[in-house]
Amino acid sequence: MSIEIRLSTTLRDIVPGYEPEKGLRAELAPGEENVSAALLAARIGIPDAQIKIIMVNGRQSKRETVVRDGDRVAYFPAVGGG
Amino acid sequence: MKNFPDREYLQALLGSFLEASRSVPCVGLAGTRYLAQRLGLTECETMQGLLHQDIWPKRFLRNRDSFCAEAQARLLGSRVLVAGCGGLGGHLTGLLARLGVGAFVLCDYDVFDESNLNRQLFCTEKTVGLPKVEVCRDRLMEIASYLDVRIFPGRLDSGNLEDLLKGTDACADCLDSVSGKQMLKAAADRVGVPYLHGAVDRHEGLAYCSGGGGQPTSSLYAAQTAGDGESAAAHVLTVAGTAVLMASLLLRDVLAITATGQTREQHLFHLDVSLPELERFVMEQDMR
Repeated sequence: MSIEIRLSTTLRDIVPGYEPEKGLRAELAPGEENVSAALLAARIGIPDAQIKIIMVNGRQSKRETVVRDGDRVAYFPAVGGG
Repeated sequence: MKNFPDREYLQALLGSFLEASRSVPCVGLAGTRYLAQRLGLTECETMQGLLHQDIWPKRFLRNRDSFCAEAQARLLGSRVLVAGCGGLGGHLTGLLARLGVGAFVLCDYDVFDESNLNRQLFCTEKTVGLPKVEVCRDRLMEIASYLDVRIFPGRLDSGNLEDLLKGTDACADCLDSVSGKQMLKAAADRVGVPYLHGAVDRHEGLAYCSGGGGQPTSSLYAAQTAGDGESAAAHVLTVAGTAVLMASLLLRDVLAITATGQTREQHLFHLDVSLPELERFVMEQDMR
């Protein structure tokens, strides 16, 4: 079960070697179900407090949203620059 | 517009001021000012009247392939509050003035700093140390002397924002803090003014419009977003690109100039100039 993950701005600094063009791939165990977007972030080392926006397959989603094989998940921190 | 001359009378009034460019009737600066004086109208009102008669002010002639005359007139009649006149705000106000927005409320308490030279449109070696709102106003007036520009050089708060927002058609969030952005969004919601969000960090920019076209408002963040840590500064490509997105959303979602007229989902646009890539996400109404 493979999920594509994209990180934005400061979240990219948390994952060593993160490449914006490629993103990340998270592999879940066969048969593993009910993995939430929040849990997925935790598994790649992103602190929950730093995640302010979650997009799953192009739609704004909640932390509890269950992610599935083939999904594309994007995480954003608060972005406040102007 | 009441009592604005019809086309036949305009032709007689304008005489040689009325030109044709690629068969499109148009009037230059001198003709517009002459007509405004004759009619006792402002230059902006005069241009709107001309456009209603499908006569184009020369300054907007190159917009004609993108907007109809009524849309151009609508732009001239619009008033936008721009909170923050630095990076995003500088580029955005310049874009909107050239598009034809007729009035601005410019808000910024700060002065230009040398470190702004990398990205802030109105920061030059000559304007370092000068108040951003004053420089922004002066530069906009050089582009379009007919503009109605009100400046607010103080710090924005929940109290003064409501008064500043009254009479505006949209507010553009070009502030540089998350807390400031949340405050502006909340004030815009209370007053019922469409809110244009822009935010930048390094190579990335975010933009969305809330409340435009009668749509309900939506927010990026939950009510409490802790920590207003300093955002890494962006460079000029990010800032300019995000400002373009904000201007595009004004045209589409607030003024319905580039809209298709169909019910639209609200979108968050994410720009990454390092790749480069532009993504569009669908925003949800209630993310609590």
